[in-house]
Amino acid sequence: MELLVCIKQVPDDSVTVTLENGAPKLDGITPVVNAFDTYALEMAARFKEEHGGNVTVLAVGGPEVVPSLRSCLAVGANTAVCLNESAPCDSLGMAHLLAKASQKAGSFDVIFCGVESTDKATGVTGTQLAEALGVPVVTNVLAVEPVDGGVSVKQETEEGYRTIEVPCPCVVTTVKPGYEPRYPSIKSKMAARKAPITELSAAEIGADAAAYGPGAAKVKQVAVAAPPKRQSGVKIQEKETAVAVSRAMEMLAGQKLI
Amino acid sequence: MAYLINPEDQDLLQTVKEFCEKEVKEQCKEFDVSGEWPEDIYAQAAEMGLNALEVPEEYGGPGLERLTVAALMEEMAKADAGFASTITASNLALKAVLIGGSEEHKQHCCDLLIEGKHGAFCLTEPMAGSDASNSKTTAVREGDEYVLNGRKCFITNGGVASFYVVTAMTDKSQGVKGMSAFLVDAGTPGLSTGNHENKMGIRTSNTCDVVFEDCRIPASALMGTEGEGYKIAMKTLDMSRTWVGCGAVGIAQRCIDEAVAYGKQRITFGKPILKNQALQFKVADMEIRTETARQMVAHALTLMDKGLPYSKESAIAKCYAGDVAVQNALEAIQILGGYGYSREYPVEKLLRDAKIFQIFEGTNEIQRMVIGKSVIGKF
Repeated sequence: MELLVCIKQVPDDSVTVTLENGAPKLDGITPVVNAFDTYALEMAARFKEEHGGNVTVLAVGGPEVVPSLRSCLAVGANTAVCLNESAPCDSLGMAHLLAKASQKAGSFDVIFCGVESTDKATGVTGTQLAEALGVPVVTNVLAVEPVDGGVSVKQETEEGYRTIEVPCPCVVTTVKPGYEPRYPSIKSKMAARKAPITELSAAEIGADAAAYGPGAAKVKQVAVAAPPKRQSGVKIQEKETAVAVSRAMEMLAGQKLI
Repeated sequence: MAYLINPEDQDLLQTVKEFCEKEVKEQCKEFDVSGEWPEDIYAQAAEMGLNALEVPEEYGGPGLERLTVAALMEEMAKADAGFASTITASNLALKAVLIGGSEEHKQHCCDLLIEGKHGAFCLTEPMAGSDASNSKTTAVREGDEYVLNGRKCFITNGGVASFYVVTAMTDKSQGVKGMSAFLVDAGTPGLSTGNHENKMGIRTSNTCDVVFEDCRIPASALMGTEGEGYKIAMKTLDMSRTWVGCGAVGIAQRCIDEAVAYGKQRITFGKPILKNQALQFKVADMEIRTETARQMVAHALTLMDKGLPYSKESAIAKCYAGDVAVQNALEAIQILGGYGYSREYPVEKLLRDAKIFQIFEGTNEIQRMVIGKSVIGKF
């Protein structure tokens, strides 16, 4: 099967981001591949290794996303495609670009997207991509197996798991499976440095200028704020358990919580 | 400050750093206590190609620059010196083969390392440590074979290696000129290994006796010609000493990292202890020592790259870095105080790990003899 993994480059989410003049201060924070996209790539790479096929990775952005594409080539991707387009987009605009770029890049049976990005975490790009392509989508996917005419996917639900069969082509958005993404080997990392990366432009993929970019955005960013600091809790210091419990009950009743 | 490595190789450094941080550092604590050889960690490292870092490109290796390998080795030693010692020991055996082996020997060992296997260098014997010429192991030629008999001890990777470089006397009457080197595969009848040593430090590395009892090997296992074994071994050690120094630098750096992290958050008399100049000076001295040791390692490696003599510089790098690792570990324990003495904290392990770097691959006394002789010359 031909598999496509859409990746997004995000600031390293293990670093605490602070605000400066109303914007996140990202200087000096290493850009990395979005964690959920690394799970998607590992899932696709394992699928390929078990059932055959090819894995292509696709990213949207300028030359700054090339290192991320190369790191994907070192951990299971066969080919990489970079759509050179840096216009700020909302998720709908990004879905439009991804849809057009994927159609230009090849004919894919399964398109993998991380369920959300660790920076903006809108969690809708994958489903909007499926909508733009007019193909089915399964969200919160933990595993993908081939079946006749499509794939069988294991979906994580609020209650547990559900297995769904879906015809190809389709989009799946992946959550964290029960394994970690592999480490690159020294040689795969070195080989990835020299691997060719297909570069596409918005014009080449036939993107509709009215469908992406800041002007087309349906979602406008009004302000960015840091989450409020957690208030310190109340300590009940009564020594007698019964007194402490009744004090707690009083407080809960006072807050109309019980 | 670190090694000034080729910018292209920075991504490798990042990858190895991440692997060591996530998969080695914490996990090795448990194996330090149990003394078990962490097979799964080594399997992961092998999968990444860390066993084959020094395999030359013409034999299928990555063809990395020495400084890049040094930077990667330092990261490994920072995470766990026993882990780094296992990798270094395989490369020690490889160096001997690259120095004295035939093309077949070289390709065979490189293939094994690329597959993720390990190697061991068997020179030391119960009565032949610093005095390597006092070797009692013999190799007697019988037709197309040699028959090995003897006992090697303190062999890193002894119990886990797939290939062994073994020195043995082919003509005792010739002294060191009667010593030869052989390449022996694991599983050869007559080759057995003893108990895993219960060591003070680098407990995640395997160390044991390697015993030869009428161990028959083909004549083609001879590396070079008869009588060249001592020369091959000494050339190997000359080169590998720098790499031991590199591991010691990793420990020294970890001591700084742990001491600084602790000293920033430990409050006494109302302020973090690192606000005290007395401790700032300690950290400064730790840094001065570590950086100079690192640059000595880099210098010796640069001499190797340029094909210039490096024997003295390699000995200085090993000797100085080994001493620095021990000094820094002692200072790190001092900065952590009572917690530094506790096994709950990582620095007491660093001292246990550091000590061997003044002993193995030529004691620091032997290194000083090499350096002294090199400076003074014959008179």
